[in-house]
Amino acid sequence: MKRALAFLSLMIIFAALMVALSPGYGIKFGLGGEDWKRYRYTDDYYIKHGLEDVGGMNIVTDIVFDYRGYDTIGEATVLFTAIAGAVALLRPWRRERNE
Amino acid sequence: MSDMGVIVKTNARALIPLIGVFGSYIILHGHLTPGGGFQGGATIVGTALLFLIAFGVDEAKKRINKDLYSALEGIGGLVFLGAAMLGLSVAFFYNILWHKGPLFNGRPGTLLSAGFLPIMNLGVGLKVFTGLVSAVFALALFRRWKE
Repeated sequence: MKRALAFLSLMIIFAALMVALSPGYGIKFGLGGEDWKRYRYTDDYYIKHGLEDVGGMNIVTDIVFDYRGYDTIGEATVLFTAIAGAVALLRPWRRERNE
Repeated sequence: MSDMGVIVKTNARALIPLIGVFGSYIILHGHLTPGGGFQGGATIVGTALLFLIAFGVDEAKKRINKDLYSALEGIGGLVFLGAAMLGLSVAFFYNILWHKGPLFNGRPGTLLSAGFLPIMNLGVGLKVFTGLVSAVFALALFRRWKE
């Protein structure tokens, strides 16, 4: 019973997502022309001004390390925490080290 | 822990430097070509994986210093933060090396351009490489299976 309800709610969420992703009602794919100017103006700015603002030819590196460097700090912190947690949890147990 | 045969070992001897050089190339050209610190660091980890698989855990245990790798991971993160704080007189993450710095302000497209981006790529690459090596060796040295 519980599992059937969970499956039913999953189906409802999936259907709602499909409606939201349909081009007639929700978001569009493959933007170009006027839609590019209306919905992707931030990307337009990065592509046009990235070279003079940051100086790197690689726009992705410009955005990730300069425009949005805080995100990269958070990403590095997540990696650091994951490594520390994995190494801390995988230490040998005290009883097994003695035998 | 059993290791591989002679063909695999010889191939590993030939391939480990190549993978390392290619990963270093990805890190160093992070501001010019696709790739960067994370991708290049993960590529160099391939050398450590190949070394571990081809030569066995016992050989790796003699050559991997756990404290050194932990310290280098922290140093990589500190290099990243230090590069971010270079332009702290204007703002955090202000690219002062590119706007009026003494070095790393060459013509865009050359290796010594783009301000602190190469420094950050080096720091992140060092951090990713040492961190993933630590995690993989912690997994490899885990206690044996019961039965």
